[in-house]
Amino acid sequence: MEILNLIRLIAGCFFIFLGIIGFLVEVLGVYRLGYTLDRMHFAGSGDTLAFAEIILGAVIINGLNFTSAKLVLVLIIFWFASPVSSHLISRLINYTEENKEEHFHVCDEEESKQYIEKQ
Amino acid sequence: MNMSMDAFFEIYGIFATVVLIVLGIIALLCLLRAIIGPTPADRIVAINMLGTLTMSMIAVLLVKLREGYLADICLIYALISFLAVIVLCKVYVGAYLTKKKVKEARKNGNS
Repeated sequence: MEILNLIRLIAGCFFIFLGIIGFLVEVLGVYRLGYTLDRMHFAGSGDTLAFAEIILGAVIINGLNFTSAKLVLVLIIFWFASPVSSHLISRLINYTEENKEEHFHVCDEEESKQYIEKQ
Repeated sequence: MNMSMDAFFEIYGIFATVVLIVLGIIALLCLLRAIIGPTPADRIVAINMLGTLTMSMIAVLLVKLREGYLADICLIYALISFLAVIVLCKVYVGAYLTKKKVKEARKNGNS
């Protein structure tokens, strides 16, 4: 039983540590990258992974009870909410960015039709 | 190794304190990004990250203090953070389009 507790503690702390590393990498990416869409991509994907790891570690240490179920519910809701907010932020960038042609290629209608036909 | 539940949570408590300090430093860096972010979208991304960091802090604290009600607070925080991003995006897009319309109207009026 004691050995099991020790394994539980080590596994939970390991997952929380991984989550911290994920957040550190995310902040590094948000500082290093130059364009807003790149930053948004880094922040969105990093959030999803790091938060999942921290919740997993907390659930492992907490054990199987009702609180852990609620934490998993928070994770599921976050996994639905985070991509939607990333989508909204990218739409905001698409509306408000003045010179987006400098950063990426914007298709016109004919070009996109040709692309679809090629597929 | 003899390990009771009290010792288990004592060791986790020390680890959680270190984790909370590191998360606080990361949150400060996010706040700095929100301050220096050149475009509104940068600031919204930073605010979104801050919300996630706060939720992780609550989750770590929940296990440290062994208080179940913090899970509900985490859930409410997730929903409010999501709502904040939606409202900020809508407000910024609306403000930008209004400004553009006013500018165009002024240009047409002058010519």
